[in-house]
Amino acid sequence: VLGQAPIKWRLQTYAGAALGEHVVKPAVDSFNKIAQGQMEIELYYADQLVPTGELFQAMQRGTIDAVQSDDDSMASPTEVTVFGGYFPFASRYSLDVPALFHDWGLNEIWAEEYAKVGVKHISAGAWDPCNFATKDPINSLADLQGKRIFTFPTAGRFLSKFGVVPVTLPWEDIEVALQTGELDGVAWSGITEDYTVGWADVTNYFLTNNISGAWIGHFFANMDRWNELPEHLQELVRVCFDSSHYYRLHWYWAGEARLRVEGTKMKLTSIPDEEWAQVEAAAREFWDEIAAESETKARIVSIFKAYNETMDKAGRPYRYT
Amino acid sequence: MTPNLIALSMFGAMLVLLFTGQRMFGMIGFVAVVAAMLLWGDRGGYDLAFAQSIKLMSWFPLMTLPMFIFMGYILSESRLADDLYRMFHVWFGPVPGGLAIGTIFLMVLISAMNGLSVAGMAIGATIALPELLRRNYDKLMVTGVIQAGSSLGILIPPSVVLVLYAMIARQPVGKLWLAGVLPGLMMAGLFILYIWIRCRISPELGPVLSPQERAQVSRAEKIRLLRAGLLPFGIFLAMMVPFVTGYVRLVESSVIGALAATLAAAVKGRLTWAVVETATRQTLAVSCMFLWIILAALAFGAVFDGLRAVDALKGLFLEDLHLNRWTVLIIMQLTFLLMGTFLDDTAMLVIVAPLYVPLVDALGFDLIWYGVLYTITTQVAYMTPPFGYNLFLMRAMAPPEITLHDIYRSIVPFVGVMIVALALVIAFPQIALWLPETLYNR
Amino acid sequence: MPNWIRTYVRLIDAINYRVGRFAMYLLFVLMGVMLYASISRAAFTPPIWTDEMGQFLLLGYFMLGGAYSLQLDSAVRMDLFYSRWSDRTRAIVDAVTILALIFYLVVLLYGGIESTAYAIEYGEKRRGLWQPYMWPIKLVMCIGITLMILQSISIFFKDLARARGKELS
Ligand code: NA
Ligand code: NA
Repeated sequence: VLGQAPIKWRLQTYAGAALGEHVVKPAVDSFNKIAQGQMEIELYYADQLVPTGELFQAMQRGTIDAVQSDDDSMASPTEVTVFGGYFPFASRYSLDVPALFHDWGLNEIWAEEYAKVGVKHISAGAWDPCNFATKDPINSLADLQGKRIFTFPTAGRFLSKFGVVPVTLPWEDIEVALQTGELDGVAWSGITEDYTVGWADVTNYFLTNNISGAWIGHFFANMDRWNELPEHLQELVRVCFDSSHYYRLHWYWAGEARLRVEGTKMKLTSIPDEEWAQVEAAAREFWDEIAAESETKARIVSIFKAYNETMDKAGRPYRYT
Repeated sequence: MTPNLIALSMFGAMLVLLFTGQRMFGMIGFVAVVAAMLLWGDRGGYDLAFAQSIKLMSWFPLMTLPMFIFMGYILSESRLADDLYRMFHVWFGPVPGGLAIGTIFLMVLISAMNGLSVAGMAIGATIALPELLRRNYDKLMVTGVIQAGSSLGILIPPSVVLVLYAMIARQPVGKLWLAGVLPGLMMAGLFILYIWIRCRISPELGPVLSPQERAQVSRAEKIRLLRAGLLPFGIFLAMMVPFVTGYVRLVESSVIGALAATLAAAVKGRLTWAVVETATRQTLAVSCMFLWIILAALAFGAVFDGLRAVDALKGLFLEDLHLNRWTVLIIMQLTFLLMGTFLDDTAMLVIVAPLYVPLVDALGFDLIWYGVLYTITTQVAYMTPPFGYNLFLMRAMAPPEITLHDIYRSIVPFVGVMIVALALVIAFPQIALWLPETLYNR
Repeated sequence: MPNWIRTYVRLIDAINYRVGRFAMYLLFVLMGVMLYASISRAAFTPPIWTDEMGQFLLLGYFMLGGAYSLQLDSAVRMDLFYSRWSDRTRAIVDAVTILALIFYLVVLLYGGIESTAYAIEYGEKRRGLWQPYMWPIKLVMCIGITLMILQSISIFFKDLARARGKELS
């Protein structure tokens, strides 16, 4: 039926329009420009065609051709889901993510896990930090007690060790929930995203301590659709999606520093390093809990451990403490 | 076929099928799934329809829908508003057109206690209308008053229409409701102004109560009736205070509202099993009607999205026709009003919202503000013949001396007033936005 | 009309009446869950299961109640022309167009079965802290849609009878 008609892909992102404007649209626009009509990617934001919870199976069946998401948001039925949204302290800097995937073997594990369920893992590489944005200031771990916080499931499971009450709400309801006091804060993103999506307008304080390692952004495709692409288009898809990761790296990296220094909507607070060490220690225990769940998870946790040890030994500028 | 042509055929096919009179949800859903299968069939286009039910499930404020519908039915079935009507009747009797003005106040209060227009219509047509006719009020005027007044039910919070709009526009319901408050009150004020001026010019349209009749009601009775007005305030406050202060969420406040109305009916001794059964059954019927239509409309909207119909429309208006965005907005409202004359409010909701709301967003307008414009236009659609839910309701409920012709004619001046209100909100967006912005940016 | 059609119509109408009456009262269960959520949020820590339970109840309410709402004839129709037709004309048009409605429901059911199969195969859970399995609610939805289809077929038979100038009920 297709004949000479251009190949069309429908890509749905987990991101809403405000965020997607930055983290995916430029890459898709570049792709369409370079592809010169041989192929066109149509971009859809969160929940546009199918709800994010159904995104994975829609891609698996081919209703959606490709997806940008973390493993967690789209509820992927794989062993690696737990590492998608803020697996605590797994990585510290944005470059840790591509390093782990390209050089430390995570790419292979992800590719294998997703191939098992009929999905092509194209790439990973985007990074977000995870900080608290709250109505009331947090200056010590005790201030976390009883705070109702919107966060990712994995981060929530971990943070509940410090008295945080994780609350799950539809993403669109967060702003209002903060205004009505139903939520005390969010632990969902860095300050760049807080300003971009408007949460900075409805919270007052930003905790500089980075609660968990990183959010990891991926691109996936339906396996058949991927295999049908000629090689040069596969290559173009890879390169352009990498440019999305790259955009996010500098956009976030620059934004985090600039808004901490120049931002006027939120006051910064910090928990002292000595106290914060308790959280890091708890994260290591949490890693072991997760590793005990399966062989694949144990393999990934061991890579995280080895990677972080190497970074510690390498010293500055890789790690300062 | 180009995507634009497909979009156009979908729209055309839907209209044709709707005009066969078959249940709307089935016709909208049919066009959506056939289009999805033709477009993406071999690639699983068919599960698009079902995926929308998960979207429905995830959308939390949808739970308010049956609650506010239930609340409205409890109010009208248990005749809680009788005393309220008596109160306005007695207190406004001495003013020319006072009973009509009092009826508008009554409608404002009823609107604050339920999410649809039906309860206001039922109460207005069965309690207020016969009384007004007995006092020789002009039948055209009072028929219009009740229809216009009851339409406030969807603009003054809580509002089911704004809940559904919020779902499609993905905006917070709380903000939309607050945005509806001042325009709703303003519109009620304009209705009152109109009635007052008309009755000033032609006093025979709304004769004052005779002194004898006024003398029949003692001061003590007047005070006692004033207390009847406390009841709806009590229900409204029980519902809104915990919500605004953040103790409960929107959905929970709707449950409290429904229970408060039920409790009030019980206190008044009017909560019979028949009332509960009817309210529960009607709530299921009306909720299902809405939810099935929304389910089908979401599938239709998703296919439309998949076709990039909105981008095409935007390109047509801004690039091909070189219109500026305000012109586009005005054209949209005009076509919307025009469609309103032959579509009813439910049809407007499902056909217009998925098409217009993304366009309004793409043009850079505030979606909270547009929610108010949208609701006022829906109110007009609800009133204008040949399709208007209220027209049929009115025909069914009103006394026999009110003919269909009267019903049609009676709405003309009120639709005029509503269009003035619409123009005011377009010209001065702060009428809608001031309250949500003030309360939410503390 | 053959006897089996009469039996079918009677049976389906009776089943859907009962299921619908059950679904109708789920409203109060929904109220109870939400009320409990608000009280416990004010008094102690919020329970983790109420939101999802409320969402499941709402979906169950309108999916299982759908067929009964068809019986109550609450679905909106656009009756500009419809209201002017004779009963016979309406029945004839209805008998044809309801096939389109049934087609929509069948496609919906097909998607529902696929989604339910996925939920069972992969042990899909709802996002959030509670993480309930998704297959039970998806199964309920499939049942509700199936009942809608059966009710629509019953309505189709009645339309057919009316088109031939008879009543079936
Ligand atoms: Na209302
Ligand atoms: Na109309």
